[in-house]
Amino acid sequence: MKRLLGVALGVLTAIGGFVDIGDLVTNAVVGSRFGLSLVWVVGVGVLGICLFANMSGRVAAASGRATFEVIRERLGPRAGLANLSASFLINLMTVTAEIGGVALALQLASSVHYLLWIPVAALAVWLVVWRVKFSSMENVTGLLGLTLIVFAVALFLLQPDWGNLAGQALAPAVPAEETVSTYWYYAIALFGAAMTPYEVFFFSSGAVEEGWSIKDLVQSRINVLVGFPLGGLLSVAIAGCAAVVLLPAGIAVTSLSQVILPVAEGAGKVGLAFVLVGVVAATFGAALETTLSSGYTLAQFFGWSWGKFRRPAQAARFHLAMIICLFIGLAVLATGVDPVLVTEYSVVFSAIALPLTYLPILIVANDPQYMGQHVNGRPVNVLAMVYLVIILAASLAAIPLMVVTGAGA
Amino acid sequence: MILGDLLGVDVYNDDGTRLGRVADARFVVDGAPRQLLAEARLLGLVVSPHSASSFLGYERTGLQQPWPLPSLLRWRHRGSFLVLWEDIAMIGAKSVRLREGYTAYSPALDSSGP
Repeated sequence: MKRLLGVALGVLTAIGGFVDIGDLVTNAVVGSRFGLSLVWVVGVGVLGICLFANMSGRVAAASGRATFEVIRERLGPRAGLANLSASFLINLMTVTAEIGGVALALQLASSVHYLLWIPVAALAVWLVVWRVKFSSMENVTGLLGLTLIVFAVALFLLQPDWGNLAGQALAPAVPAEETVSTYWYYAIALFGAAMTPYEVFFFSSGAVEEGWSIKDLVQSRINVLVGFPLGGLLSVAIAGCAAVVLLPAGIAVTSLSQVILPVAEGAGKVGLAFVLVGVVAATFGAALETTLSSGYTLAQFFGWSWGKFRRPAQAARFHLAMIICLFIGLAVLATGVDPVLVTEYSVVFSAIALPLTYLPILIVANDPQYMGQHVNGRPVNVLAMVYLVIILAASLAAIPLMVVTGAGA
Repeated sequence: MILGDLLGVDVYNDDGTRLGRVADARFVVDGAPRQLLAEARLLGLVVSPHSASSFLGYERTGLQQPWPLPSLLRWRHRGSFLVLWEDIAMIGAKSVRLREGYTAYSPALDSSGP
């Protein structure tokens, strides 16, 4: 019974923790401009993140090494440092976007300007990272994030033309008022939002934090293979709401208030209350994960002691690095840059940097010296190589498409 | 000098023919015992004729997964060999010269190596 509860808790946290500011904004933007015609990308992204998280979790459990320890060992210091720089900068961008997202959500709930909420959000992130136990942190934000299910509820209450929605999803076509290059640009953004690298840094470091061994792999596999696809359904519901309410009205999403507008229309004040709790929990949870990820990547690369299972005094550089990252995020947001815009760029850059972390994990997951008998099986390798091609293609196409489309304008 | 300066440096044999570039340095951990590990000793250098980029570890093992990555990397590093420290005549700032009659070992970590 206790084991069953553990599995249920893990799955629920994985669902609630799947959606972050990147998923919220990108899915809503895509829904409001392309309807459900890009929904297949969410499927591709979710399968990809399942595969990637499954491999990195297995590497962490079998070898006791988290992602950046593996990268440093396998790529050597020079290529590893280039890899770290790119991954770290993009992660920092995501930290900034998430904190901005918390502040925007709090602004919607309180009518106090978001710039005033930003220091509060950053301080709260720091306090939790400093004080709260890893497992409680994960469980509370994950479970509260489940309130985002209200997007699915709202979609039903809006009573859309299901046939029309299914048609958009099953026979994807570029809408008349959009170009082919913007369609593919947003496909990459959506892919990057589902397969954000920080999720994997966090997932594999979390496995070390929680002291996973090989016998915990079954549990982790269930969490990933059940939790992430259900989290992906939440993403689809967000896009669906936007497609039903905003697309016909000709509103292209540019702010967080527009993201949640369909919920208010479909599920009223109660729905609005739920979605605000959900957005705050999801962005706050992701702010914690990205802040920790920035500490994890730096500490693992430079060989500092790291982890929340140590007292802050025993992992001083790890904690100091996270404090500095939070200050950098604050400084960027203090310039008044729109957090939604930062988010839109961060998901695309995530897709660009993805091969850097994916390839080393794929290689190590095949190396019996690290993995013993838990190397990738043949079906996993076939799928993993298919995804390597997809990830490389998305990464290489992203910058040209960004230039051609003017970042999706 | 630091090891990082050595990587990518051109390697010549004793009559000045270019053999390739230093791709890696091979250490053995058999020195004086320390708290965690014994001290490392430089066994030799891995020389690659075509590229000084990373092998990603595929030179050490006969691993074939995930297809086709190992084959591609091995092809890029075809003809690479391990030369022992004793066979190195001189290490300069921009070149490494080997002694006459040096032995080129396989860089693999199985029975075919030194």
